[in-house]
Parts: sequence; structure tokens; C-alpha cells
Amino acid sequence: MASRMQNDCEGFFRRDFLRIGAGAGLLGLSLPELLRLEAMAAKKGANQPAKKADSVIMVWLAGGPATIDMWDLKPEAPEGIRGAFKPADTNVPGIRISEHMPKMAKVADKISIIRSIYHSIPSHGPATVFMTTGNKPTAALQYPAMGSVVSKVLAPRPGVPQYVSFSDIRGGLAGNSGYLGTAYSPFMVEGNPNGGKTTLRVRGIQLPTNFTLDSLANRDDLLAGFDSTFRETDKNADLVQGFDAFHKQALEILRSDKTRNAFDLTQEKQETRARYGMEAFGQSALAARRLVEAGVRFVTISIGGWDTHGKTFEAHSKRLQPTLDNTLSALIADLSDRGMLDRTMVYCAGEFGRTPKINKNDGRDHWARSMSVVAAGGGFKRGYAHGTTDGQGMAPATEACLPDDVSSTIFHNLGIDPKTELQTSTGRPITLFREGAVIDKLLA
Amino acid sequence: MFSENHCKVFVIALGIVFFAQAPARAEVTLPDGQVVRNVDFEKHIVGVLGRSGCNLGSCHGAFQGKNGFRLSLFGYEAEKDGLSVGREFNSRRINLNQPDQSLLLLKATGQGEHAGGRRFSVDSWQYQLIREWIAKGAPLSKGSGIITGFHVTPTEIPFKSPGESLPLKVVANFADGTSETITSLCEYRSGDEGVAEVNSNGVVKGVRGGDAAIIVSHRGQVVAVRAMVPLKTATGFKYPAVPEVNFIDKIVFQKLKKLNMVPSGLSSDTEFLRRVTLDTVGLLPTPEEIRKFLEDKSANKREKKIDELLKHPMHAALWATKLSDITGNNTDALEQPQNLKSRRSQMWHDWLKKRIVENMPYDKLVDGILCSTSRDGEEPEAFIARTKKQDELLAKGFESDYANKPSLDLYWRRQQQVTVDQWGERTAAAFLGIRLECAQCHKHPFDRWTQVDYRSYANVFSQVAFGVSPEMKKLVDAENAERKTKAPQNNQLNQVREIYVTATNPRAMTHPETNGPLIPRALGGQEMPIERGVDNRKTLFNWMIDKNNPYFAQSFVNRIWGHYFGSGIVDPVDDFSQANPPSNPQLLQTLGKDFIQSGFNIREMEKRILLSRVYQLTYKPNESNQFDESNFSHSAIRPMMAEVVIDVLSQATGVEENFGVDAPKNSRAIEVGSSRVNSTVNYALRIFGRPPRTAACDCERSMEPALPQKLYLMADTALQAKIESQSNRIKTLLSEFKDDSQALDELFLATLSRFPSETEKQHFAKYKEKNLDRKTLFTDTLWALVNTKEFIFNH
Repeated sequence: MASRMQNDCEGFFRRDFLRIGAGAGLLGLSLPELLRLEAMAAKKGANQPAKKADSVIMVWLAGGPATIDMWDLKPEAPEGIRGAFKPADTNVPGIRISEHMPKMAKVADKISIIRSIYHSIPSHGPATVFMTTGNKPTAALQYPAMGSVVSKVLAPRPGVPQYVSFSDIRGGLAGNSGYLGTAYSPFMVEGNPNGGKTTLRVRGIQLPTNFTLDSLANRDDLLAGFDSTFRETDKNADLVQGFDAFHKQALEILRSDKTRNAFDLTQEKQETRARYGMEAFGQSALAARRLVEAGVRFVTISIGGWDTHGKTFEAHSKRLQPTLDNTLSALIADLSDRGMLDRTMVYCAGEFGRTPKINKNDGRDHWARSMSVVAAGGGFKRGYAHGTTDGQGMAPATEACLPDDVSSTIFHNLGIDPKTELQTSTGRPITLFREGAVIDKLLA
Repeated sequence: MFSENHCKVFVIALGIVFFAQAPARAEVTLPDGQVVRNVDFEKHIVGVLGRSGCNLGSCHGAFQGKNGFRLSLFGYEAEKDGLSVGREFNSRRINLNQPDQSLLLLKATGQGEHAGGRRFSVDSWQYQLIREWIAKGAPLSKGSGIITGFHVTPTEIPFKSPGESLPLKVVANFADGTSETITSLCEYRSGDEGVAEVNSNGVVKGVRGGDAAIIVSHRGQVVAVRAMVPLKTATGFKYPAVPEVNFIDKIVFQKLKKLNMVPSGLSSDTEFLRRVTLDTVGLLPTPEEIRKFLEDKSANKREKKIDELLKHPMHAALWATKLSDITGNNTDALEQPQNLKSRRSQMWHDWLKKRIVENMPYDKLVDGILCSTSRDGEEPEAFIARTKKQDELLAKGFESDYANKPSLDLYWRRQQQVTVDQWGERTAAAFLGIRLECAQCHKHPFDRWTQVDYRSYANVFSQVAFGVSPEMKKLVDAENAERKTKAPQNNQLNQVREIYVTATNPRAMTHPETNGPLIPRALGGQEMPIERGVDNRKTLFNWMIDKNNPYFAQSFVNRIWGHYFGSGIVDPVDDFSQANPPSNPQLLQTLGKDFIQSGFNIREMEKRILLSRVYQLTYKPNESNQFDESNFSHSAIRPMMAEVVIDVLSQATGVEENFGVDAPKNSRAIEVGSSRVNSTVNYALRIFGRPPRTAACDCERSMEPALPQKLYLMADTALQAKIESQSNRIKTLLSEFKDDSQALDELFLATLSRFPSETEKQHFAKYKEKNLDRKTLFTDTLWALVNTKEFIFNH
């Protein structure tokens, strides 16, 4: 028999990974690996799912939204639990959501509401890590955010970054690259997309305003004359070769107008911009759609204020739900109108839900045992509510699922086997979502 | 797909009766020629499952198994595997009547549906071996496979030249007194497949000149041997004589000679000066320093420079930063209130820095960290008084006298309780260079550590408490009550607490299987039962500093070496394990012994290394050593620490960095204790790989190049502002040097630490023809110079 086995349970031969982990190639370290993964994805091997989506937009609700007042209302529950809002019909018979999200009600036929997701960490930091990585946080290992994993396993597209984030979630604690290393950190958006004036830019990938492309060309020419020191000598220096390759990529990105254009929201019709909402969150959602159009794989946008320990109903009815309703519905409708929803997933979640029991300050506290999230597009079923919670919304009653499961499903749709094994810098093999399983019922 | 065997129990009974009288079965010949007459599950079958990949963590070796079938990871628990394979679910996986119809064989050969695909074919020896075992009744003899000796020969594979193939031989001694050749039943991998390949039957092939570790594993046993592949040489090749300065050169060159690899020549003065300055103080030499060094004609000027640099305050700052990584000075994890966290980090840094300045022996330094308490034996009143004074200073700013405290209790003081096993992992990585984390859940796949070792070691730290000791309670309660009245909110309260040692160990971990108590034990050392009045950390410390301890001294000299060469003798530096052998064992041992003999004198060790010819070789490789990455035959081109990147960019542009409220004013990045700074420079520190210091190992410091780094250098707003600033190096340059070629010299010295070459001068002259104004011309030049690889890498 052949001395090299073709595959193992993961679809990979273990020794290949060991070599990559211990191996020398720095740029080569990741490139063959990701090309291979991409090739596997295209080949649809035994475990490699068919690719249904190319990109993800994650809409992050920082602070932990009271989803019991948004997606999974409990009008039959006793007072002190059921809350102040009434459920309203949507365009999908049987699915009812908060009365304060009338626009979402009109795109309910395009989304899945997952009502039975839960976990066990009612603390912002670790819960955020759990939800954004799809892995329960441990002290021993920092898991990469889903966006970082995407930039690791999918091949980059020319001229655009892979993973762009509009928000340094929890000061960089979440949303980062964990064990994959800084190369897979998100590119951060700088500037404020507030109001009519747009000054958005991704840090480091666009030239400063007074730095022209001509000047870049000039300087690069001068650089070429000074940068030959290592040229003849180090045929085997991966560091040198890697940096040269990055130099080319960097020039490509700086010269490309793809990202710049994506941020030029004035290219959109005023009514489109208005539909998304003219405040920062709405405009960043629009920019996210444009980034995905330009080829970015994973975009995170974020809106805070969901940590409603007091006066939750006031905050939700006046501010939080109307804003989200506006922007999220506009994003989904716009993606759908443009035919992009088929290949773009939208995932709207926060770190946890909130206590079904209303506290003395008319607020709700942290509650991870039950919550809802919304997933749409790119392989997700449409017009579907997945699972239920019990009568008081305390815990899932049917189809209970974990963040790991939802993340697994997202990666399944991206054509990446959720059981794919990656390696830490110490060579330890880590399964992407060890505890997760694809939720078949969520698949279109 | 398969029909269940509904009368399994009956069949087994029948099978045992029947096969008990069965005649001797056929022999199976293994690829290494070994003939197996009596197939034994533990001795043979587990090895086959291992080399076929069945018991990997991603397959049936996963903690929860795969598809209902679980094997122990890498076959470490052969006995349990026997039950899984041969007995579980009424032996549904084997068919004693018709061995060929056994689920195990059907799946493994791909005849039945198997997510893992085909592992071997029906006509393979693996199949025959398993079939024979089933045919003779699938007997299990508990403990038959216990290995008492595991020998791989040769330990150094002596190739004559590339292209040659040589077989390894693996012999196991079993507890029952027998020995067997098990070469075919092991797993093999090469540490560097570019140098030597190994196939699944243990035949090693030299690919090109160099050396590589070949790692042999079998059911939890791991041994590494070394393949030495000498380079092909031209006829008449005579290995040149290479001068040696000290024993380091002798040992390194000895091995190179074995490989026919000739070390590069000595570095030039400018090359040496840039390298040694960056390595020791994290700065570029200034143009004046370079000129002065070049003018100095004395024979020992390199030694004088080394002495000067090792006494430099920035040298202490650099090691305080490195030791902050190693000891986990993670600002966010320190005690509340929030606004004091970065100040506490700075105290930590100060404490370390002071000891490097004083050149405190390494063992004393570790003693002060590992065995720290808050009171250092102080009386309660004195402790309260000192704490008050310290906290008053802390409330004001970064000034503190914490560095004068004998021990670093901050190491143990964290807002969130750290579990004893976390302390085990942290101390093992920091002071022994061992990564224990795998053994938390299962036997370490690449090293000797078991879960029992892991937990026993964790229990060494089970007496350490963070809170208030009984004798302090009254005073501390009173003080805290007073502080509480002054703090507007609970999270703004700076509570008095202390690290102290309790007489009992309520936090101790129990035995993973029996749940019984586990006596604290050093890794591979003696048991150390809890005794009243004895701090077990001190017992552990005494075990560490014993001259026969294989880790303590070696792990630190290896860290020093790794710092000065870009890679350790064991690399990564905190990964001492059976599967990751040193590239030059003799070198590591000799350095370790030397370090112990010197009384753990850090500066002396640094000087020894920096003086060696090996350190002072040029980065320019020759034909023979161009592919060398682990034998130190030429200086390695290596990335700089993130903090050093920031500092040299400030130096080159002539604009200082502002680290905001999380660092003392006018600090350089290397002097900042806090692991995060609330300033735009945090972005740059992050992309150049400054570690968050959250993990137990110092593997977090990313030394890989990444696209954002290049983009930062080329286009980041903050850096461009420094390059274009109105009051930067260019401004001074233009006023001080009216002549363009002199200005160019100066700018090259300030960035690349050397004069421009003729070609570079010509290139500059050509660029000048674009008729740019002088400021633009030199601003563009500065941009170009900081964007060269020569600038951003040390070499």
C-alpha cells in the first residue's frame, strides 16, 4: 500500500499538519494550507460540505440583548416576566416578533430566528468570546474569532482584506485572532460613519490623505534601490521571502480602489443610505454590504447599549429596537434585492440573553440559559423559527443548541468542515468547533 | 449497512470454547522482517491502530470517541482499547466466527462505510495481524503490552551523503521480561523533511545536507534520534580552519564540521554593532556611536562595547519586558481598581528591571518570584504601614518603591482566582521550559507527563492563598473598612489583601481516576507532603536549583540563546519535550553546566555568548550553509520584538512615541510595564506581535511577519505623520548637512546603521533628478529606508 495515506477522519493526513506546524515556510506556512483547504472545499470531499456562501456580515449587539423582548416574546408568561411589548405578526404565518420591529416583520420570510440557543456564561467578557469564536473560552487557549478563522482558511481575494471589523469588541478581547496569531487579526475601520459625512477608512490599508499614489510609486522606486541587501544571500530565508510577498500584496491593496470605493457611501442613492439609517450603525451596515461586494469575507459591525439592567423597555422601544429594526431589515432587504443574500450570511447576535424575570429597576439582568439569534442568507433556511423556549423563556424547550452548533452551521455554509483541524503555534491540533454539530434543520 | 450480530454472546462463548482448542494459526511477517507468531493485542494491535491513525485526537482518539467508538489517545491505555475493540457492545466490532466479517476490519479497509476512509488493504500485513488476533479468539491479556524499555537505534543516523537511506530499529522490553522488535508498529515523523524524510516503516532518507530530528512514537513512548546528513563536497574539499573564541565556538563548529558545513565569516564592525545594540538594548546605534566605534582601533573594542551595553539601563528594561512576558505580567488580570492596573504592571516591570541592573543571580531572581509572599516575613503592623505608603504612591502615579520589596507578590496577585493547575502550567512554562497543558486532559502525547504528574505538580501550589491570613485579619479588616468609606464605588476600592501560605491545601486536585488525594510532587521529582510551616514552593525551588535538575538552568540559558540568535537550541524556547530535542545537546548541556557553575550569573552568560565567534558571524551565508536554520552557522535574519520596532521607528524618525496614561511619561516602548496602552500605538504593538500575556507559555509573542506590518510601515497614518513631521530627523538633517551626500550618509547611519553602497548612492542620485525639493527628497528617502527589510529585521 501507499506509504502516504490519503486522508484521515478530518480529510487530512496528520503528518502534513505536523509539517506545516513545525515547518519553515512563513508565508508558505499558511498559503499551501489555505489553498489546500480551498481546494478541498471546491472538491466537496467526504467531509467537506458544499459551499453555499462566500461572506459573512456579523451584526454584534454588544451588552447582551433582551431577546425575550425581541424575537421570542412570552405573552402568556406571568407578570414580572412577560414584559411590556406585544408580539406582532410577520409575513411568515406563525412567526411573531416584537411590535417594535415592524420592518423586520416584513423580511421575516428571509431569515431564520434561532430561539433555542443557550450557553452558561453570564459574564460579558467570556460570553462575548464564546459567541464570537463558537468555542467555550478556556484559560489554556485563546480561540480565534470566526472572522479570523475565515481569513485563515479561505484564500484571499486580490486588493481587499479578508476580515474587517468596525468595532474593537471589548477592547480587542474578542474578535481577535487568538491562537492563529496576529496575521489573522481583523483590519480595523477608523473614523466615524456618522451622519452625512463619511470619513471611514480601514486603518493601514489606505494611504493617508496627503499621500498620493504617485508619491507611493516614487517612494517605492527609491525603496527598490535600497532593499537589495538580502537579495542574493538568503535563498532560504522565509522571513525575507514572506516580507517581499507581503510587500507586493500591500502595494496591491494600497493601489486598489476597491476598499476606498466601498467606503465611499456617496456612491449610494440618498434613499438607500437613509433606509439603513444615517447614524453610525446604519452607515456601517451599508459599508459592510459594500465591502462584501468588493470581496471582503467577513465584516463585523456592532451596536452597543443592550446591557439594560434598568429601564429596559424604555431603551428597547425608544432606541434599541427601532435602530436595529431599521438597519437590519434594510441590510437583509438590500442584500436580497441585489441577489447577494444567497451568497452572504448575516448573523445577528449578542453575548447572552437577559433574565426573563424583570428586576426592581424595570430592567433585565444577564441570562445565558436562553436567548435568540438571527441568521439569514447563504444556506440558511428562510422564514423559519428554530426551536422554542419554555413558557417563561427560562431555557430551551426544543432543539436546544449551543454557540458551537450555530458557528458550525455557519462554517458548513462557507464550505468549511467545522471539524477541520488547525494548529496552535505550539503545534497542538485544535478542531475548529470541537463541541459543535451542524444544525441540519437550519439548512435551506 | 451491517446487520447486527444478534447472537453475539453465544458466539463469543462458542468462539472461546472452539478457539481454545484451535491449532496454531499462520504467522504474520512484518515489513521489518519480524515474524509474529503469537499476536498480542496490547503489543501488536494497538501499534497497528496507532500507525493507521485510528487513535488520533481527531478520530477515535477524541475524548468522546468517534461515531460511538473510542480509543485512548495515541494508544496510551492499551488495556481500555482492548475492551473497546474486543468486548464493548457484546463484541460487535469483531466476528470470531468469520474474522473477515469483523466490523473493525471491514471499516478499516473501506469495505464498510467509514468516515475515516480506508486505512489499509485486505492484503496488507496490518489486516493479517488483526485477523489473526480475531481468529484466535481475540484474547486480551491485561498489561501484556506494558513497556519497560524503548530503544531506537542508531541514536544518530550517520549518513555519508544525501540520497542515502538507512533503517531505524526499535526494540521494546516488556514487563513480562520479553523483548521484541517493533519497528513496524511505530509512528515516525521528521522534524525537517527538507533534510531527512522517514517513511511509515522507519526507513530514513537523507534529502539534503543538514540535520533533522526523527521522532519515533509508539503508545505514548516518544524518542527522538538525529539524522545527520553531511553535505556533498567537491573533490579535494578541505574543511577550513575556523578560529574559536570560547567553548561555544568549539561545540558549534564541531557539529558543523560533521555536516561539511562551513560557518560564515566574521561580521563587519557596522553589522556587529547594529546587531548587538538591537539585541542588548533594543535600540539602533546612533550615527555618532557608529562613527566612534569605527574609529576605535583597539583590538578589544567589541568586548568593550559588549560590556558597555550589558550595563546600559535599556538592557535591563529589555529583559524586564522579556521576563514580564515569561511571568505573565498581564495588566488586565491584575487587581482592581481599573485605573491602578497599569501602574501595578509598571511596578512588576520595575521589580524585574532593578534585579537585572544589579545582575542578581538567576536562581535568586526566581526565588523572589516563585516563593513570594506579600509580607516577606514582616510583622502585621509593618506590613500595613508599608502597604499604606505604597498605595499612596500608587494613587499618585507610576513612582513606587515596589522594586525594593524582596519578593514579587504581584506574580501571584490576580483579580480572578487562578486555579492550582494554572499555576502548575505557568510555573512549568516559565521556569522549566515545559508545556504541560496537554496533560491536563490526557497523557501528554509528545512527552512523559501523565495526568497524575500534572495534578501532583499543580498541588505544589495548593497552599498559596490570596486574601487575608488569620494573624492579619484584625488589622486588614480595619484598614479595608476605612478604605471602603472613601471609595465611591466598590470597584474603585483598592483592597488590602496578601499572598500567604496556608497550612492545609483545600484547593488540591485529586487523582483523575480514583479521586483520591494526590501528594504534591515536582515534575519527575520527589513527593513533598504538606508540612506545617513549610512552603512547598520553597521545596520545589530547591529541587529546581539542584545541579542535576535537567530543566531549570538549561531552560534559561536556552532563552538567552534564543534571544541572541533568533531561535533556541531547543526551539520554541519553552517547549522542552521528548519530541522536541535540542539541535545541539552538547551545547545546551555545557551552557547549562557553565551557568550553574557561575552561580547563575546572567550577565556573564550573556557576555560569553556575545563574545563568541558564533554570535559575531555575518548573516551572509555561503554555499554550504545557506539552508541552515538550526546550527548557527551564520547569523539569522530575525524579526525584532514589537516594542523594539516602535522604539527604532521613533529613533529613525526622530519623533518620540506617546504611550498615554498607561505608562510613565517619556518611556520607550521597552520600558512600559503595561501589557496594553490606551493610545494609537497599541495597534502597532499588536500587529508586530506584542503578547497579551494571558497564556501560560510565552508562545504568544508572534514573530511571524504579517501583511498588516508591511501596510503599517508603508501607509499607516500615525507612522506617516512621524515621517512627515515638521520637527523630526529630516528637519535637523537638512539644517545640519547642507551637502546631500553627507545627509544621505547620515540618514543611512540613522536607519540601517551603515554607509550607503555605491549602487545605493547612484540610485539616490537618479532619484534626485526628479527635481523634488530637498525636504521631499529626504522624506522619501527616510520612508524608503524604514521600509527596507534590512531596517525591520535584525541580522
